[in-house]
Amino acid sequence: MPDLNLAGISRGAGNGAPADLVRLENVRKHFPLQSGLLANLLNRGHVPAVKAVDGVSLSIKRGEVFGLAGESGSGKSTVGRLVLNLFPPTEGRVFFDGQDLSRLSAEEMRKLRSRMQIIFQDPMASLNPRMTIGDAIGHPVWIHVTGDPEKRRQVVTEILEKVGLAPANQFYDKFPHQISGGQRQRIVIARALVTVPDLVVADEPVAMADVSVRTLLLELMMRLKGELNLTYLFVTHDLATAKYVCDRIAIMYLGKLCEVGPLDDVYRHPGHPYTRALLEAVPVPDPRHRRKEPMPAGEIPSAINPPSGCRFHPRCPIARANCAVDEPVLRELRPGHFMACHYAEEVLK
Amino acid sequence: MSADVLCSVRNLIVEYSTRAGAVRAVDNVSLDIRRGEILGLVGESGCGKSTLGKALMRLHTGAARITQGELWFDGRDLMKLSEREMPDVRGAEIGMVFQDPMTSLNPVQRIMDHLTETMRTHEPEVSEAAARGRANELVERLGIRRERLHEYPHQMSGGMRQRVMISLALALRAKLVIADEPTTSLDVIVEAKFLDLLKELQKEFGLTILLITHNIGVVAEVADRVAVMYAAKMAEVGDVREVFADPKHPYTQGLLRSVPNIALDGAELYKMEGAPPNLLHPPVGCRFAPRCPHVMDVCRRQEPSFDPVGEGDHLAACWLFNEAAVAREKSHA
Amino acid sequence: MTMMKEELPEAAEATEVWATELERVGFVRRMFLARRWYGADWWFVAISTVMVLGFIFVALFPGLLAPFSPNELVGSRLLAPGAQPAVPVLIVPAESPLNELVDLAAPAGAPRPAVGVVQGLPTGAALNERAKLLDDEIKSAPEGLRLRPRINRYATTEEALRAVADGTDMAAVIESTEWAAGMSEQFPTLRQGGSITGEVSTAGGFVLGTNDIGQDVFSRLLWGTRVALIIGFSSSIVALVLGVPLGLLAGFVGGALDRLLSLVMDSLYAFPGLILAIAITAVLGPSMFNVIVAIAVLYVPTYYRIVRGQTLSVKEEVYVEAAKSIGARQSEILQKYIFPNVIPSVAIIFSVNVADAILTGAGLSFLGLGLPPTIADWGIDLARGQRFIQVAWWMITYPGLAIIAVVLAFSMMGEGLTEIFNPRLRER
Repeated sequence: MPDLNLAGISRGAGNGAPADLVRLENVRKHFPLQSGLLANLLNRGHVPAVKAVDGVSLSIKRGEVFGLAGESGSGKSTVGRLVLNLFPPTEGRVFFDGQDLSRLSAEEMRKLRSRMQIIFQDPMASLNPRMTIGDAIGHPVWIHVTGDPEKRRQVVTEILEKVGLAPANQFYDKFPHQISGGQRQRIVIARALVTVPDLVVADEPVAMADVSVRTLLLELMMRLKGELNLTYLFVTHDLATAKYVCDRIAIMYLGKLCEVGPLDDVYRHPGHPYTRALLEAVPVPDPRHRRKEPMPAGEIPSAINPPSGCRFHPRCPIARANCAVDEPVLRELRPGHFMACHYAEEVLK
Repeated sequence: MSADVLCSVRNLIVEYSTRAGAVRAVDNVSLDIRRGEILGLVGESGCGKSTLGKALMRLHTGAARITQGELWFDGRDLMKLSEREMPDVRGAEIGMVFQDPMTSLNPVQRIMDHLTETMRTHEPEVSEAAARGRANELVERLGIRRERLHEYPHQMSGGMRQRVMISLALALRAKLVIADEPTTSLDVIVEAKFLDLLKELQKEFGLTILLITHNIGVVAEVADRVAVMYAAKMAEVGDVREVFADPKHPYTQGLLRSVPNIALDGAELYKMEGAPPNLLHPPVGCRFAPRCPHVMDVCRRQEPSFDPVGEGDHLAACWLFNEAAVAREKSHA
Repeated sequence: MTMMKEELPEAAEATEVWATELERVGFVRRMFLARRWYGADWWFVAISTVMVLGFIFVALFPGLLAPFSPNELVGSRLLAPGAQPAVPVLIVPAESPLNELVDLAAPAGAPRPAVGVVQGLPTGAALNERAKLLDDEIKSAPEGLRLRPRINRYATTEEALRAVADGTDMAAVIESTEWAAGMSEQFPTLRQGGSITGEVSTAGGFVLGTNDIGQDVFSRLLWGTRVALIIGFSSSIVALVLGVPLGLLAGFVGGALDRLLSLVMDSLYAFPGLILAIAITAVLGPSMFNVIVAIAVLYVPTYYRIVRGQTLSVKEEVYVEAAKSIGARQSEILQKYIFPNVIPSVAIIFSVNVADAILTGAGLSFLGLGLPPTIADWGIDLARGQRFIQVAWWMITYPGLAIIAVVLAFSMMGEGLTEIFNPRLRER
């Protein structure tokens, strides 16, 4: 039972609430390279765009830690932001707790934000340098919960103590640059959790923290997940870290999903050549370990003009003729485990 | 200095001044780099590993200066060279690969021109044609098509730029390459290929590489020996397999246990409490004492010396391996 | 369950020691402690701040320091700094009871007093004039005294003074400078009385001299400070009040509004400053208010551009995205997240801006535009002094130096503050 009832915040989960907290239906997000009337004229309506997310459908169940992994240009961070409706999709729909986010008015969306929050990668960049910690964490409280300064202070103090920053009033009036790096990420976590959201998108939350601090932060995040009944969308490029926290994982490449499934199954029985390569490439902190398989040739191509058919085909060790023509769809070849490869059966062997 | 040691520092101190006083980014560090090896220098942010790497070629950013210690390279005392003589050493004998290649490559110069110009600066007698030829060869060896040499840095990916940096070091026939977090900004597959490349170059060209990184996995993958730094001091040095199998310094132990291992199932990650000390006012005694699970009385009062532990050239700075100290502690208990 | 308490580590660990030391100490001490950390820049800012405060003080209370009011005709024209004004004075025998001209008055029937003057000098005319004036005053008085001196003219000052020494004349009227320059030694039996005209004969003269119509340069300088600073501050503040919100809006909202505003502002900015100011004052007419308006219009684009640029870059910062993600309204984001991060850049250029505005204001009045001639202003003094630069260099030099000093002080302060708030990365 979350003890932040002081906030008196109503939780969305009630009777008949869909099991899927988040659902994306064929979502695309294209960022045009130029904008405006002139650009459209000059390019005859087809302005070149970065196809950051190009047809992604997935669902996140309540209470799970859903990992979204990929390299740069995969579109994972963009998906994280689409889930929060920080910008609208170019195509497709995003559902949160059964509601189509595109149909909400600006005011409704604003209010809904108390239920979906984000933990950013860089704590220094995501905290307003001119706002005290107390104000920064208190702002979402002020917006969504109460304007009463006393109550607000109480709520902020509670969450500060929950993330392990005690005594809270020592941090309350400090500015971000006055506290250490390890503590700053806790502030970001505190701000994300203060309204007790249903969904937390964690965008590389520990990537910038020191190695010895990462474990502490991850443990904190998982403990709070249990206490506050959270659902995480864990966006990361680090498959080793994902292994320790995620229940299910999705692998993205160049704006499309390659593979989705329970983490253990995906890691042990990857069905997509890219997933295999990715898992193989992760450095293992054991000198006796040697990589067995060769790495795919080439590098990640531009997302402006992605390869036709299967995006991975130019680099794929098992690519055949039809891979350059037909886009593979996600197929469930193991229970709950989907792969988008024409020849996934071969990969699984 | 024995023949198989290419570069060595003894009791090196690198200081820089801040508004509040002098800070020792590298505090009394001694290290040998052997010919033909890949030495992994590992540690968390602020431990001084980057400063140490730059100090090896007396490259000082900001107000950092070597205030004490010896620096030997290939039998020569580098501390004796004047500032004017150092540029001949940098690049030609000691090459450097930085974390962000975008800022180390001239954005308004084509790659080919950059390579040939640098080559001809160090070897003026080489003709333009010969320089181009060498550049082409090397770059193909590193997996870049020669047409791409006529591009600008921003037209290349991160991985390719890093390869260009390596090729530069090779072109100048550098004996030692200092790679400062070369793969931190790279994707994991590109990183894997880059590390493979480093190992190949080590074999083929007899290249000696000092690989500075915070990523333990990278060190485990390519390094022959590993050196662990903590709070501007050297904590442990040894053969990579030995150190990983049997870490002696409690910091190394904690570090290795707190890194997620994708190949292991069900292991618990270790939590290291506390934070590294402020180097403005470092604690008396061992710097890791406030966080050490095996801390003894003497650790808080006196700094341990860097001594051999276990077999071979496995060295660590820890009182736990000083029999007298351990005995004294037991008798007090 | 073990709580992972992470208390705020001792100051030595988490925060830089000097930062926490500062917090424990009062504001004044903080200022002085800062000297250790900022070095030369601290002196830069300290000296210029003292200068600026000095100028502000003078601007607020010119009457306290200025010996005269700015338009008062206080002395001879074109008097060099420190020079004794050549005041016509009465020279009388040492034991004589006479002092002022009016003492020479005698009853109607008495013999007329003889007073010597040097032929051809203005002292004669002055004596005549003064005597007539005093005579008219006293003849209506009941004592029935008249002042009708018999004026004897001599070829040289020595002759006139010898006439007094040997009793031929009761007194002589010569210029005070001549008496001081040696005549007093030649005639030890004589002494100097009062001045005839009542003009001041300041010991040491006028500190910075007088101008072409007899006004004290020093007083005009001090009173001019007030005008300069009023123009400088007012126009900068008006420009800020107009430019900053427009810049914020344009940067934040973007789109057509941004393009339109930028077009207008860039057009204004493209004008050479002084010419635009001239055009505006020419249209509006001469007055302090119009000058302020003209200069303010000149600087609005500066604030606009800087604020717009800063807003555009701050808008892309992650913490603004974070504000959006917690559900803050656009107005809240603008107010709490963007504005506070944009304003420091404005504060710093304000100081330099004031300096520039003062310079432009002086330029305008130098050209004879903007201020009406009754207001004492450095620019006007510069213009007037131009014509007399060969005979009275002090007329143009001191106002010029004053302008330089004020502009320097404000610029130094602005630059010094920039260095302190955005230090170049000299330490790691």
